Amino acid sequence: MSDQNLKKLTSDHRNRLERELEQAHDFDPRDPMVGLSADDLSGAQLSRRAVLRLLAATGTLAAWQLTPMGGLRSAAAAARGGTLSCGWAGVGEIRTLDPAQINQVLEFQITSNALSGLTHIGPDLIARGDLAESWTVSADGAEYVFKLRRGVTFHNGDKFDADDVLYTYNRSRDSTKSIHSRVLGNVSSVDKIDPYTVRFKLKHAQASFLTKTLERASGRAMTIVSRNALKSMGNAQYGLTPVGTGPFRVTQHQLGQGVVLERFANYYDPERPRLDKVIIKPISDPEALAAALESGDIQLIGGNPVPPQLVDRFVANPDLVVNSVPGPGFQSVWINPWHPAMRTPDFNKPLDELMKEKGFKVRLAIAKALDRERFLKQAQFGRGKPAYGTINPAMGYYFDAKLGRESNQRFDVEAARRLLAEAGYPGGKGFPKLRLLVTPSNRRQGLVIADILKRNLNIKVAIETKDFPVLIDDFDTMHWDLVRLGSGGDYDPDDGLVDWMQTKSKFNGPHRDKSKSAFGYFSDAEVDRLIAEQSTEADPKKRKALVQQANRITSDKVASAFLYHPVDIQVRHKRVGFPSVSRIPGLVDLDRTTIA
Amino acid sequence: MSRYLVKRILGALVVMWVVATLVFFMLRIVPGDPLAAMLFDVGDPAAAEDLRRAFGLDQPLYVQYMKWFWQMLHGNLGVSIYGSHLPVTRVVAEALPRTLSLAGLSFVIALAIATPAGLIAATRKNTALDHGVTLVAFLGLSMPDFWLAILLIIVFAANLHWLPAIGYVPLSVGFWPWFSHLILPAIAVGTGFSAIVARMIRSSMLEVLQADYMRVARAKGLRESTVIVRHAFPNALIPVVTVIGIAFALLMAGAVVVENVFAIKGVGRLLIVGILNRDYPVVQGAILVVSAIFVFTNLLVDVLYTVIDPRIRYQ
Repeated sequence: MSDQNLKKLTSDHRNRLERELEQAHDFDPRDPMVGLSADDLSGAQLSRRAVLRLLAATGTLAAWQLTPMGGLRSAAAAARGGTLSCGWAGVGEIRTLDPAQINQVLEFQITSNALSGLTHIGPDLIARGDLAESWTVSADGAEYVFKLRRGVTFHNGDKFDADDVLYTYNRSRDSTKSIHSRVLGNVSSVDKIDPYTVRFKLKHAQASFLTKTLERASGRAMTIVSRNALKSMGNAQYGLTPVGTGPFRVTQHQLGQGVVLERFANYYDPERPRLDKVIIKPISDPEALAAALESGDIQLIGGNPVPPQLVDRFVANPDLVVNSVPGPGFQSVWINPWHPAMRTPDFNKPLDELMKEKGFKVRLAIAKALDRERFLKQAQFGRGKPAYGTINPAMGYYFDAKLGRESNQRFDVEAARRLLAEAGYPGGKGFPKLRLLVTPSNRRQGLVIADILKRNLNIKVAIETKDFPVLIDDFDTMHWDLVRLGSGGDYDPDDGLVDWMQTKSKFNGPHRDKSKSAFGYFSDAEVDRLIAEQSTEADPKKRKALVQQANRITSDKVASAFLYHPVDIQVRHKRVGFPSVSRIPGLVDLDRTTIA
Repeated sequence: MSRYLVKRILGALVVMWVVATLVFFMLRIVPGDPLAAMLFDVGDPAAAEDLRRAFGLDQPLYVQYMKWFWQMLHGNLGVSIYGSHLPVTRVVAEALPRTLSLAGLSFVIALAIATPAGLIAATRKNTALDHGVTLVAFLGLSMPDFWLAILLIIVFAANLHWLPAIGYVPLSVGFWPWFSHLILPAIAVGTGFSAIVARMIRSSMLEVLQADYMRVARAKGLRESTVIVRHAFPNALIPVVTVIGIAFALLMAGAVVVENVFAIKGVGRLLIVGILNRDYPVVQGAILVVSAIFVFTNLLVDVLYTVIDPRIRYQ
C-alpha cells in the first residue's frame, strides 16, 4: 500500500487491520484446520479472515503486503536502522540482567533480547529452536538430544558450543550462584556428545521441559551465559552488562537510569535485529510515563503492565498503537481455609460432601459473590478476562473456555447469599470482619473487592496494605484471612498448577505452623495426582485432558477465588513496526522491530 | 578556629556513627525479610539459606553489626542484597552526582528567584509588589512539588515538546543535554525552597532596615541601592544562611518524589527503593552519606557566619 493510501486510513481502520493481522495467528498449530471451519473454507469466495489465517499458517503472511488489500506499513517503516527509546513501566531500576538472579518479568524482557536459550517460545507459547537447531526425545520422554546451531558467537567474539551449555547448567544448579537451581531439579545429567551436540537426561519425563526449563526468557536456568565474560567481569558487573549470543549487546547499564542495547552485527540470523539501538528507561510514575510517550521521549512501553487508567488515553491518541493480547497469568483472592468462619480442613472429600460443610459454603459464597465483570470495570478500567482457574487464555490449547459457564464459583449473587445463610450468616449477620492483605499497588483492587463483598454479601472487609516483603512473610506463614495475589509470566500449565495448586507447591504456606495446619491454602490428593501426571505426559491431547480436569477441580473446590487473567497491552508509537510473530505475551522481543 | 573545626569534625563523625547505628538496628526491627521478596518466585529454601549465609544474615545481630562497623571503617559499605550485588559505594557514588546536580541547580534557581523577590518585598513593604511577592511565595509553598513536576512535564514536554520529560544526562555528555534534563525537576524542587528563602530574606531585611546604622548610611548620602546591597543585605544574611543551609541539606538528601516522577535515580530514590526492598546495606550506606551531608553542611554554614560577620569568631 502506498504511503498516500496509508495516510488516508483513519486510526479506526488502522486498528482494525492491526487486529485482523493479530487474529490471523490465533490458532493452535496442532490444529490441521488452523482454527477454520469447513464452512470457512467452502464456497465461491474465501473471507479476508480465512485468507489471512491460511497465509499465517503457511508462514507467508508477509505476502499480505502484495495483495490488493495491501500492507499496513510503508516501505520506510520496514527499513532497518534507527534508535528506539522504550519506557519500562512501574519500576525504578533494572536490578540485574544476570539470568541466574532475575526474578521479575521486566528483567527477562530485556535479557530475551541480549541472551539466548536452547529454545524460545512464540506467540502461541510453543517452544521453537533458538540455539538448538533440532532435537530428539526418547520414547520415555526422559532424554533429549539437542543439535546446537553452528556459527554462533557471543558478543565478545567467543564461539558458542556445547561447553557453554554445560557451563551454564553447572552454574545454574549451584544454589550459591543461581536462585533458579530448583528449576533443574529434574535434570540428572547434561553430557557433551560432541562440540555441537548435548544430551539432557531427566529423572522423569517433563512435559514443560522445553517451554520452562530451556526457554531463553522465562526459563532463566538455562539461558546461556558466557563463561569467559563471567570470569573477567565478575558476577556483579555481568549482572549489569551481560554478554550473550542474542541479537543485541548490552553496551550500557546504569542502575536507575536505564539500559542501552546495540545491534550485534554477528547475530546468527543476518536479518535480525533491524534496529541499531534500543534505549530502555525505567519510569515508575504513570503520568511521567504517559508524558514521555506523548512527547516522543519514548516510543514503546515495556516492563510492568501498562497502568490500566492510562490505556483509554492512549487509545484515543491517533499517534499511538494500542495492541492487546491475552496475558500469561492469573490473579486471585486467596481464602484462608483455617479461619474459623471459613474452615475447610479437608478438600479431599467429594464436592457434594464439601458443599454440606459450613466453612466451604462460606468459601464458595465469597467466590460466587465476586462480580468479576464489575471488578474489571472498576479496578482494571475494563481490561482483563474473568478467571476461574490458573490456566490462562494465552495458553490457548490448554485453556478451557467452558469453565466460565460451568465452574462452581461462577458469579451468582443469589446463590452466594443462600450459601452464606445456610452457613449460619443470613444477610451477613454475625459474620466476622475479614482482613484483606494487599500491596500498595493493589490497593485499588482491594477496595473494589471489599465493596463488592459488602454489597453482595454484607460482609465487612478491612484492607491492610503491606509492602511486598511483609505481605509475603504473612502469606507464607498463613497469617491472613484474604490475600490479593497472583502470578505472571505463566507460559506452561505447570506454572499455575505445579507452582500454586499442589499440596507441596512452593507458595502453599511453606512457613506455616505445620502442627496447626496440615496444608496451606489448598490440598486435594486427586488434584495432586492429576498435576503430577500431566507434568510428565508427552502426548498433548492427553495432557490437555489432565490439565483441564485438574483446573476444573481447583475451580469447583475453590482452591482460591480466581479473579481475572490480565491482558498484555502493548503501547507504541505508530512509527514503530512490531510484527505479530514477535508479539509474545509478557515479552518485548525487539529483534524484528523497526522504526520509521 | 582550627581547634574549633577539629572539634566540630570529630563531633560530626560521632553524630554520623550514632545515626548509622540507629538505622542499622531499626532496619532489622522493621518487619519483612530482605530475601523473601527476592526469592518469592523461586520457592527454593536451599537457595534462600545459601543467600542468607552469603550475606551474613544468619549471624547474630551483634556479629552483623561488628562486621559492618569494621568494614565501614575501612571504607567498605557492603554489597547490595537485592539483586544487583554491586558494592554499595558504587551504587551510592552513581546516585550522588545526580542528586548533587539536581540540588545544585535547584539551589541556584531558588536563590535567583528568592533574593530579588525578598529584597523587593522588604524595600517595598506594604505595597502591591510586597503583597504580590508574598502571594507568590505562599503559592510556591502550597504547591506540592510532585504536582508541580507533573504539570511542568505536561506543559513543557508533552505539549510544547521544548524539554525532555524524564531522565538524567551527566554533565560530561554536554551542558545543554544535562541542563535540559534537569531544568524542569530543578524548578519543581526549587520553587518551594525559593518561597521559604524569599520570606526569610524579607523578614530579616525588614529588621535590619530599622537599625540605626541604616539611618547613618542614608544620612551620609549613599544611594539607596548601595545602602541596601552593601549595608543591609550582608547583615540580613545570618539567619538566611541558616535556613539555606538546612534547606540545601534537605535538597541533597534527595527530593525523592521529584526524582521518582522524573525517573532520576538519586540518593533519595535509592533510599526509598532500598527500604521497600529491605536492602539493608544500601539503606545503611545511603543514610551514612545523607547524615554526612547534613552535619558537614551545618558545619559549612557555621564557618560561613565568620565570613559574613567578622565579629563572629570561634574559640
